[in-house]
Amino acid sequence: MGSEVPDERHGPWDPGLQIERTTLAWLRTGLTFVVGLMVLLRLLVHRSAVAAAVCAAVTIPLAVAITVLSWSRHRQAERRLRADDPLPDGVLHASFTASAVLAGVVGTVYVLLM
Amino acid sequence: MASENDDPACKRWPHRIYGVGNEPDPRFTLANERTFLAWIRTALALMAAGVGVEALNAAAGTGPDPLRTSLAVLLLLAGVVCSIAAFGRWMTMERALRTNSPLPPPKLAPILGFGLGVIGLAALVLLLISGF
Repeated sequence: MGSEVPDERHGPWDPGLQIERTTLAWLRTGLTFVVGLMVLLRLLVHRSAVAAAVCAAVTIPLAVAITVLSWSRHRQAERRLRADDPLPDGVLHASFTASAVLAGVVGTVYVLLM
Repeated sequence: MASENDDPACKRWPHRIYGVGNEPDPRFTLANERTFLAWIRTALALMAAGVGVEALNAAAGTGPDPLRTSLAVLLLLAGVVCSIAAFGRWMTMERALRTNSPLPPPKLAPILGFGLGVIGLAALVLLLISGF
């Protein structure tokens, strides 16, 4: 443990950079959503431009929202740790799970219809 | 590390987790969060594999092959199950951390490991008998 750590009570300020690692994990997951989305849209364009446009209109704002929320969660976690408050809750976890389930359902429908 | 249960500002969702126990070390909460995200990425990778198998169907140009289609649907549904299980496991873990009880063993990991092994073998057989 480095002696220059500002406050030993606050675990996340240890050399492990917990908040940064966690935020990167959120952003990495959001990026995975975006990449998967692009592949699916690319495949859909071949079949039906209308379906691809509808799918894009629904999912691109969702992907942007996920990224923005991940970043604001980072700032919220920083602020709360500095104030010695509890960390953010499980709403974003549920949103990510719902998005993943939605992606799976859309993919299954695509496979079954095509 | 104080107990936050009586704090009116602490209206955190889901209550099933935050209504019990004490605040754990933030490092443990953050590690649990990263594990959840790793499971979600695994789920998305499974779905991507499903869509990839379906893309082979499209590329073949000979109409959908039922074996390929069923493998694609299997992978996609595995992804859906995996993401739901990820959330369930995150909740279980966070509760265990808050109540200071031992962490339950991962039930999904061996299923996923063996399942992917079986799917890999099935893909190999498909590759050998039909050129996929």
